[in-house]
Amino acid sequence: MNHKILPLLLLITVSFLIVSCEKDEQPAIVDPNPEVVAPDGYSFSRDGNSTVSFSGQTTRIGMATELVFAMSDFSSAKSQLIEMYANQTADGADANPFENEVYNESSKSVKSKVAASQDFFSSNTSESAVIKADFESWISAQVNEVFPAENKIANPGTAGQVADGSSVRYVNAQGLEYNQAVNKGLIGALMLDQIVNNYLSPAVLDASENIIENDNGTVADGKSYTTMEHKWDEAYGYLFGFSNTPEDPISSIGSEDNFLNKYLGRVEDDPDFAGIAVKIYDAFLLGRAAIVGQDYDLRDKQAEIIKQELSKVIAIRAVYYLQQGKNGIPADGDMNAYGSAFHDLSEGFGFVYSLRFTHDTNANQSYFSSEEVTAMINDLTVGNGFWDVTPEKLDELSETIAAKFDFTVAQAGE
Amino acid sequence: MSKTHYLLFMLLTMSMTYSACSSDEECCDPEIIESPSFDREAMLKDWADDIVIPSFENYSEALGVLKSANETFISAPTIANLESLRSRYIEAYASWQSVSLFDIGKAESIALRNFSNIYPTSIDKITSNITAGGYNLELPSNFVAQGFPALDYLMYGMADDDEEIVEIYNDAKYATYLTEVINRLDALANEVLADWKGSYREDFIANQASSATGSIDKLVNDAIFYYEKFLRAGKIGIPAGVFSGNTISDAVEAPYSGIYSKQLFDEGLNSFQDFFNGKSLSRSDIKSLRHYLDAVDAQKDGVMLSQLINNQIDKARTKSNELDDNLKQQVVGDNAKMLETYDELQKVVVLLKVDMLQALNIKVDFVDADGD
Repeated sequence: MNHKILPLLLLITVSFLIVSCEKDEQPAIVDPNPEVVAPDGYSFSRDGNSTVSFSGQTTRIGMATELVFAMSDFSSAKSQLIEMYANQTADGADANPFENEVYNESSKSVKSKVAASQDFFSSNTSESAVIKADFESWISAQVNEVFPAENKIANPGTAGQVADGSSVRYVNAQGLEYNQAVNKGLIGALMLDQIVNNYLSPAVLDASENIIENDNGTVADGKSYTTMEHKWDEAYGYLFGFSNTPEDPISSIGSEDNFLNKYLGRVEDDPDFAGIAVKIYDAFLLGRAAIVGQDYDLRDKQAEIIKQELSKVIAIRAVYYLQQGKNGIPADGDMNAYGSAFHDLSEGFGFVYSLRFTHDTNANQSYFSSEEVTAMINDLTVGNGFWDVTPEKLDELSETIAAKFDFTVAQAGE
Repeated sequence: MSKTHYLLFMLLTMSMTYSACSSDEECCDPEIIESPSFDREAMLKDWADDIVIPSFENYSEALGVLKSANETFISAPTIANLESLRSRYIEAYASWQSVSLFDIGKAESIALRNFSNIYPTSIDKITSNITAGGYNLELPSNFVAQGFPALDYLMYGMADDDEEIVEIYNDAKYATYLTEVINRLDALANEVLADWKGSYREDFIANQASSATGSIDKLVNDAIFYYEKFLRAGKIGIPAGVFSGNTISDAVEAPYSGIYSKQLFDEGLNSFQDFFNGKSLSRSDIKSLRHYLDAVDAQKDGVMLSQLINNQIDKARTKSNELDDNLKQQVVGDNAKMLETYDELQKVVVLLKVDMLQALNIKVDFVDADGD
């Protein structure tokens, strides 16, 4: 180039800079989405205060824990069990049914968040009411049908006790343990539903002014977190909230509660699925960092991973228990040897019920419709239920479930 | 070539092949060679006639003696009669250790082991049964309120000294419960024995199929399950805290009498090894699993598998002889020794569950699932 042009070019460039500096409030070169980097642990703060909070979730996990435990205590009164479920008396007054005083003082309840997700039930309150009532009916039935049969031996059509190895199981006339139905059913209807169909939904994360507030760092009233940050953490809380080290929940995965944490740990222990726990945790971590970094696309990509993988966990456990139950059916039909099968099938019952709350990110609805789940539940409980259910039927149900996912019955079944 | 030369040449070739391969791990996994010279039917007969039935006969006899000692005690509760009762009790408990393994046939279908020896026993359940009455010992929920563990509590644990214990049995409610627990043990044992001496013996021997429901497959699985769960874990591992992170000294067998827990472990280990080796009270030449393994030439790292199994059981026994007679005190005083014993017991499990089953072409039929 002509050496005379260079100084001119320089002048022009510098003048652009000056002009642009004068006219714009922002620096000339801006990257709207600096690459989001996840921190080492699930720990986030603003002005020195932690922004992570999920006490409402741990409270409900704790309430559910006490409820399930009390269902196995033959001295529990029905009214008390129902009060634990609803955290209020039958006429809606304040109740104190829990051992833990914190739960008694709380205004939260398990029932209010059963089948209560924004995506699935905000305009489906009729189905939500049916589901909430299902849990109540199992709780009542435990007291009405199983408690009086405490000292009877169970038979087809008669509630009572059965041996499971050296343990004892208390079952209804179909061989179902109601406490397992409630325990495993809540994993879907409460924890899973709230995570994948509510707190990770854009409908909740981006509700009202959440995006603008998060962009501007505007915190919720009296808190250190933005509303969007908090919603994400509430999802986290239903999975990892009960961990002793919630900033590093993988180190103790599987032993921290009797709900989603426990069964994520069980699936993780299966070599066919090793790595799933870290995959989910990493998605939670990166998604939360993405919120801080205001990268909502990245956030939603992580949410998709969580929805897919957690839905898969439920399906894997459903197949696992149906298969274990099948393997436990006594070959010689010995009436006293059904206990192990009944226990596995009762857990399977709860996980099958929970399939209703899974989230298929491709179709933006659950993997199994309420009719499909009802049909599977009916197949398990028709007639004398678990006394009669055949290995063929259990294989058929397992195949139906596995078909919608990328795993096989063989992988999930053992 | 003459036949002998041919045979020698074959043997030479085989041994050359073997020694050439012996440093190469890949080629020397035990091949399953069905040995025509091993008589499976004879083993089943010997098991039934020379091990199982005599063991149950001895056990039933011991219970009969326990029953009459109880009748004496109940009619006249004195310290002397209590001591006689206790002697009969520990003899019967020791005899139980030789039948616990055979959880097959009637024993399996009536859940003999569950009703005879589930521990820890539940003091609450025993107490509420006695005070409320109207209990049904046939319920699974009463596994933990009967059997030898309940007797241990009833004879040793109800009070701090023998005079107080004797005093309690002046009360008809307690006397009745003690009697019913003993009588039930006796009734169940007799039911199993009668079945063995009746039609079950023939069914057991006739069922020679090489399948999961064949007698050999089932009994071998029973033996391994017994070893793993009731011997290794139940008597040593669980009290030592192997599965729970904390020791549970009350979870030893017979914790109230205390001094018999090590003896009961010895009896259990001996019963298992004797079954493996084909040793009974009257014969030591029964062809059992050891012979079967040798007949199929089961080896591991160039050593006969049966030898490895016996060696390791002996090692575990030697280690266990360092334990106090009172395993509860051992757990509290020096649990490290319990853990060392457990470790030696554990080493046998792999040899049984992996190597032995593979050599005999038997599939494991129980799952060590964690349950929930």
